[in-house]
Amino acid sequence: MSDLRDTAYATAILHEVADLLAKLAADGSAGAIDLRAMPLGPADRARLKEVLAQGAVKVSVDAGGPSEIFETVYPGVWWTCHRNDAGETISEFIEVTDCPQFLKSQPDDIRAGASGLRRLLE
Amino acid sequence: MKGEAMRNDDREITLGEYLAARGVSRRAFLKFACSLASLMALPPSAGVAMAEALAKAKRPSVLWFPFQECTGCTESITRSHEPTIESMIFDMISLDYQETLMAAAGHQSEAAREQAMKDNYGKYLLLIDGSVATGLEGAYSCIGGQTNLSWLTEAAKGAAAIIAIGSCASYGGIPKANPNPTGARAVSDIVKDKPIVNIPGCPPIPAVLTGVLAHFLTFGSLPELDPLGRPKAFYGETIHDRCYRRPFYDQGRFAKTFDDEGARNGWCLYELGCKGPVTYNACATIKWNAGTSFPIQSGHGCLGCSEPDFWDKGSFYRPLSVAHWGDKATLGGAAAVGVALGAAAALAARRRQDKIVKGD
Repeated sequence: MSDLRDTAYATAILHEVADLLAKLAADGSAGAIDLRAMPLGPADRARLKEVLAQGAVKVSVDAGGPSEIFETVYPGVWWTCHRNDAGETISEFIEVTDCPQFLKSQPDDIRAGASGLRRLLE
Repeated sequence: MKGEAMRNDDREITLGEYLAARGVSRRAFLKFACSLASLMALPPSAGVAMAEALAKAKRPSVLWFPFQECTGCTESITRSHEPTIESMIFDMISLDYQETLMAAAGHQSEAAREQAMKDNYGKYLLLIDGSVATGLEGAYSCIGGQTNLSWLTEAAKGAAAIIAIGSCASYGGIPKANPNPTGARAVSDIVKDKPIVNIPGCPPIPAVLTGVLAHFLTFGSLPELDPLGRPKAFYGETIHDRCYRRPFYDQGRFAKTFDDEGARNGWCLYELGCKGPVTYNACATIKWNAGTSFPIQSGHGCLGCSEPDFWDKGSFYRPLSVAHWGDKATLGGAAAVGVALGAAAALAARRRQDKIVKGD
């Protein structure tokens, strides 16, 4: 267990996650926490990783650089980390939702794919 | 400079079309927009709306003039070996003049500048890094036989807005340091009739420029500014307020030297001269070198480089309580959260500095 005096921000975030998850369970409304907007120290990060450990789902996406998304041991709580092509983290979120928006196929991409496939078959 | 990005016909298509033609999927663009929203302190859900708005935006013409500067600001914004979120600004804009980056030189580059100003009069964004020399009618700093002062005055007339990049353009910076031999001034000292955004820092955080440009493209306006003309999304809080070492300040745990137990334990650097309590910037959250660290995380106090006249305020290693920084109200506010402990630390630091000065 980390020194609680060094993990004040992590504790606050975990309480916020719990509130968001209760709301998702109650009425289905999603929420998210921007981790890069928080002044997290190394101990805070370790504490968050310790509590929000990886659950059953882990996804890698290659779009504008790699992104790693996993559902935590708490269903509905997802950890999303976006990186650029150099592997540098450009944004990181804890999303509380049934499925992160980023994982869904985007309408413009679907339309472009449909046209491309049709052209290929003609 | 990306040669393709300079073609006028490219400017007629939307950013979404421009990126799609280059193989950037909407999913990748959504990721970029969500990261931008994060930078701009917008809620994560804003990323989807930003992606929609940015995709429909036209790429604006941008002219970037370097004046009395060290090129550190340009290095900060452009120095990356792989595509980064900062480098995406070169897709969002049509950079029509930047003499450090462009292939053209001499009369060709000057012709490009004049043509871009003529073609986009009233619509282009003007970016300035470096201070403006005003001594001897501006003769201390010239390009192509013309003073920076005359360039700025002329180009400002046709600009939709001006972005002052770095502390030199924002406040006068190092060139303005006492005794200011060149008569260095900030852009805002010269131009009074155009909207100006200051992005101070020595150098500034590169992602801030991306965020300001993204805001301009997304909302068609400049972001909300503080009294010093800085975007509040990035300069709305002090380094101290967002510092991960802040809990140590509140607990009264301070490093006394750079190699004592407190320093090794990562305690607060207030007594070692950290200017975080009076410095407004986003270093503590966005950080540097791809989010790796920032000065305080690396063990050194904040220098306060995004504040006016930081270069003329005495030693970086004197605590705020004995330095020439801030006013009593600001320092009082900084100490207010950790009231007793912070005040005690300030008093202790002041006594320790008094002893050093007296040689006790």
